[in-house]
Amino acid sequence: MLRLRPSATGGGLGLSLASSTDGVSGLPTATPETIEEAAGLMANLPAGGDRIRIHGGGSHRGIGYPVTSDVVLSTSRLDRVVAWEPDDLTVVVEAGVLVEELEQMLASKGQTALLPEQPGTGTVGGAIATAISGWRRYRYGPIRDRVLETTLVSSDGRVVTAGGRVVKNVTGYDIPRLATGSLGAMGLIARVCLKLWPVPQASATVPVESPEEALEVAYRPLAVLETREGTAVFLGGTPEEVSGQAAALGAIPTPGLNWPDHPSGAVRFSVRTPPSSLRGIVDGLDPGWTYLAQFGVGEVTVGADEVDLEELGELRGRAESLGGALLMLDAPQSVAGAFDPWGTPPPSIEIQRRVVNLFDPGRRINRGILPGRI
Amino acid sequence: MVSSLELELRRRLGDEQVASDPLDLYVFGKDSGLVRGEPGLVVFPRSTGEVATIMRLAGRHRVPVVPRGSGTGLAGGAVTTGPHVLLVTTRMNRIGPVDVENRCVWVQPGVINLDLSVHTTPFGLHYAPDPSSQSVCTIGGNVANNSGGPHCLAEGTTVNHVLAMEIVTPDGDIVTIGGPAPDPIGLDVRGLMVGSEGTLGIVTDALVNLLPNPPASRTILLAFPEVQNAAATVSGIIANGLIPAALEMMDQPMTIAVERFANAGFPTESAAVLIAEVTGHPSAVDAEAELVRRLAVSHRATLTRIASDEAERKRIWLGRKSAFGAIAQMNPDYYLHDTVVPRTRLVEAIEETYAISKRHGIPMLNVFHAGDGNLHPLMSFDASVPGVMERVDAAGRDLIEMCVAIGGSLSGEHGIGMEKRDYMPLVFDEMGLDAQARIREAFDPDGRLNPGKIVPQGSRCFDFGRPPPVGVWV
Repeated sequence: MLRLRPSATGGGLGLSLASSTDGVSGLPTATPETIEEAAGLMANLPAGGDRIRIHGGGSHRGIGYPVTSDVVLSTSRLDRVVAWEPDDLTVVVEAGVLVEELEQMLASKGQTALLPEQPGTGTVGGAIATAISGWRRYRYGPIRDRVLETTLVSSDGRVVTAGGRVVKNVTGYDIPRLATGSLGAMGLIARVCLKLWPVPQASATVPVESPEEALEVAYRPLAVLETREGTAVFLGGTPEEVSGQAAALGAIPTPGLNWPDHPSGAVRFSVRTPPSSLRGIVDGLDPGWTYLAQFGVGEVTVGADEVDLEELGELRGRAESLGGALLMLDAPQSVAGAFDPWGTPPPSIEIQRRVVNLFDPGRRINRGILPGRI
Repeated sequence: MVSSLELELRRRLGDEQVASDPLDLYVFGKDSGLVRGEPGLVVFPRSTGEVATIMRLAGRHRVPVVPRGSGTGLAGGAVTTGPHVLLVTTRMNRIGPVDVENRCVWVQPGVINLDLSVHTTPFGLHYAPDPSSQSVCTIGGNVANNSGGPHCLAEGTTVNHVLAMEIVTPDGDIVTIGGPAPDPIGLDVRGLMVGSEGTLGIVTDALVNLLPNPPASRTILLAFPEVQNAAATVSGIIANGLIPAALEMMDQPMTIAVERFANAGFPTESAAVLIAEVTGHPSAVDAEAELVRRLAVSHRATLTRIASDEAERKRIWLGRKSAFGAIAQMNPDYYLHDTVVPRTRLVEAIEETYAISKRHGIPMLNVFHAGDGNLHPLMSFDASVPGVMERVDAAGRDLIEMCVAIGGSLSGEHGIGMEKRDYMPLVFDEMGLDAQARIREAFDPDGRLNPGKIVPQGSRCFDFGRPPPVGVWV
């Protein structure tokens, strides 16, 4: 159980990088305890040994182009809950706080940050860096709608705070929104303020036959998810609303939100399409693959033990022709080396490159990880 | 003297799309705030291609371009800071075919906010952001300011409802950002563009998300003997797990002004009036409305009235949205402020507002989005009285400093523009300001778009490891 702790003070900059490794790459790993320490550490790396890879909980390390780095910066000890204002519906946390622990803490007062529901080892920083939203986004919107303030640490040691700790704010450019999904390329996402939501009084999981029909009948459910095992509508609200909506769906509800498991497999990827095109994409998936489709949202996460690259390429082509994308979440070397993790870069790629280059001069953090190898 | 840029623009766009006579320049010299400028030229493009032409020609003549919608902005975001080209988007007002299945539609920047929701009503859909000026303000202006409105408490502001956009860059290139699918890969440039006040690019088309009209709603009018009671009710509602569609508060001076103007049935003897609206599934709204009513009673509410029909509901909302019109009866001039504080500091902020009003001798009426701590103190005055504007300015500064001191921010939904640009150092340190300037530099290094807005001069100062060239002022 997390407890509120004031920001640690002190902590020298003289970390011995070589004293530990991340256990995967064998690279020296630094685990700063404060934001200032992270800033000093990155700014003082020796020339020629100053390419940095950020490591959070390790649950999304397969996303993006592989990063060549000299050192790893782990956020594991940037793990403080800096402030929680339940009555203002905001919480300020450092990047290394585990999603699961944060949500447990918030649940003690009936609140949630709507972070991914089955986070495993995932950290808050990782969820924001990857912009992976939870299943409840159909009702509450994507994760980037809830990042109110970010403190980024650039590789030249600047500590940049943008946004604010209020739920509505148009003061300055929305850098928090830009940082969400930046995979650290604009700087280490060291601390964030998140907007919270009250947990509804009642919730239920209702099995249904057709997600499309369920979306017609239910008014703004939390989620409508389909897997190979079946389809369910997830409801939240007052007890009256939940029972009323379940009755309208004509099925027996199970109390609580019984989320399906993530698709598993050596290869995992996500296909994003306009919501109405999701059925076609899902029906075209290889029968050997497992999947979890978010109807109404337009995203399906797929797991497979092996994939035919040509088949994957065709699927990507279809998604992109619809205005969507296919991005790899995890892939063994044999696939990663032969199949682009992102696909066609967006038309704004040169604007993105200029932004990143101004935020991380010399491109030292997670260099090349983004589309366009930014 | 007619500039060569004007001649060229007249030749390319036609005379009816270029205005330069003194009356036009005067009329377009202002938005709805207090600051005045004088554009060198006003242009009215009809297409994305024409916007690109204007950007390229103006760039060649080194004249900055300032985009403008209906001019309902209050922070001077669409006021020129020099003899610039003012690009008015109101003639780009086409609404594309409604994509009912994906609940979205492409709209040009000059489309009026309310026209969009009226247009989509037959499909059972609406566009959520509903600023009080929605019957006149444009979608382009809403995108530029990330506009909110009473119903953004549960549904979010403009940025939550724009899926994609087409922009013209300062170089005159046309780029599409975002798309109809969730989470386009790469950085969320779409999200950054929203609220950027026309300083990063000109939005020439926007794909906006539409929401299904709620099958049921209940609007509840509540009145309280003290402002604290209303604020405690707001906190109680949220603490009970309910985020209503809207939670709007008015203080007594505002209620009196509105009631005189709109006859909405607001009790003028109460210190605070709260309008709560719950929307959703028919099985939900009655229980939610009852919860709101019960909480209000527990906080000494003297009136708890649930609107009995659509006509009564509309009357309540008309009252709320005509707050600013009502002020016109009191004094010839008004200045509508916009700041935001943590919701739990609301009562403190209102009491401070009254103290500031008294200190400067400027009447202030309060109407605010209580659910998200967004204050709108409205100063009422006669600008022709000598010394009044100085007092208005001083009161405004005190308001902003007070809100920042209790953990708030400069603006909740009106933007920074020119009005609050020089207050930015109150909320950003040097590195924070430098980062704001870097964003600007990434898009518009030469200052071709809406110069003098958002970012105070001299913000760009950090370049670690790269000493400035000799002779450069830092």
